Order: sequence, then C-alpha cells, then structure tokens
Amino acid sequence: MKNRLKVERAEHNLSQADLADRIGVSRQTINSIETGRYVPSTILALKLATVFGKAVEHIFTLEETD
Amino acid sequence: MKTKWLFPHRFRLIGWLIFVPSAILGLAALYVDFKISWLTANWLSESITILSGNSVGHVTENQDLTDEVAAIGIIIGLLLIGFSCEKVEDEMIGQLRLEALQWSVYANYIILAIAILTVYDMAFFNVMIYNMFTVLLVFISRFRWLIYRNNHTVLAL
Repeated sequence: MKNRLKVERAEHNLSQADLADRIGVSRQTINSIETGRYVPSTILALKLATVFGKAVEHIFTLEETD
Repeated sequence: MKTKWLFPHRFRLIGWLIFVPSAILGLAALYVDFKISWLTANWLSESITILSGNSVGHVTENQDLTDEVAAIGIIIGLLLIGFSCEKVEDEMIGQLRLEALQWSVYANYIILAIAILTVYDMAFFNVMIYNMFTVLLVFISRFRWLIYRNNHTVLAL
C-alpha cells in the first residue's frame, strides 16, 4: 500500500511528532507508516485522513501486490 | 484502537522488582538447596515410617515452600513485565507484541523438541523446570528487541 503521508504533512506543516500527538500514537508509528513498514488499521487511517481533511483513498492507495 | 488485557505502564517496574529477587531465590533453591526457614509449611507435613533392622522410627518432614514462592514470583514478575502498556501504547506496539508472542511460542517448542530428543532422565527434569518460564522470557526478549530495532530504524532515517 502506498501513502502520501509525508507530502500531506509537508503541506500542513506538521512534524511526525505533531501528527503523532494529534492522533494518539507514537512518532515511531508515523515513521513506520510513512516508510511502508507498518500498515495502519482502518481506524488509524480514518484518523489520519480526518487530520488532513481528505478522504482515506487520497492518502492511502492500493498497490498491485496488495 | 485500544489493546486489551494489559496492565498499566508502571506495573512493568513492579514486575522487575518481583522477578529479579524471585529468580535469584529460585536459582538458590535449585542449585544450593537454599531454604527460607519461615516458609516451612507445617500443615503440609507428612509422617514417614522408617524401618531399619528391627527398629521402627517415625520422621516428620515439613514441606518447604521456598521454591513454590520463587516460581510464583517469577511467573507474576514475567507477566507484569511482558504485558504492561508501553509509555505510548498504540496499535503498532500491539502488533509487535503479538508477533513477539507468536515467535516465542515457535522458538520455545522448537527448543523443547530438541531437548526431548537429546536430554534424558533427571537432566530432562531440569529442562522442564526452565521450560515453565522460557515462553515468557523469550517473548519479553524478542518484544524488547523489536521495539529497540524499530526505534533504531527511526533514528537511522
């Protein structure tokens, strides 16, 4: 699964720690999602989408291998 | 997403404070026959009749509870260490915990299978004593390693 988390963060001028604070996870979790090492649950994906005011599909997209 | 069935974060320290003395007590009881005198249970005493030649004697043996206390202490300590929340407990930590648990069960039974094939008689009894705690010990080691590696990867980026 690909994601645009880093781009969205840059657009909203948020650090990994800021974003982690907003949705109640650790900075390591945000980092792991951005680098594709961790695939978040639906709840976490929806929380992230809410922070950026976008649809989940705008931030996370399936790859052919998924 | 909340992870269920976990103790509060501060219980991890309490776990270590219970585990370390219990483990030392357990090893002392196992290898140097160390006993705590006030842990002797009179109510569990048994009378043994000894026949020696023509004479008959009765000996009362009290049950010593040192190793029982040590074993229970080790179990409680390891459970608290392994299943207390992290400072920031989130779903990724929950996943790492479950992966570590699965890994430790596999590792434990592979080691046990090897021990079954290679260790016999009373030596195997020793293996079983350690085996009572190895699932939790391997789980905790693996979990801490995964968390360390995860934090290290973040720093390296």
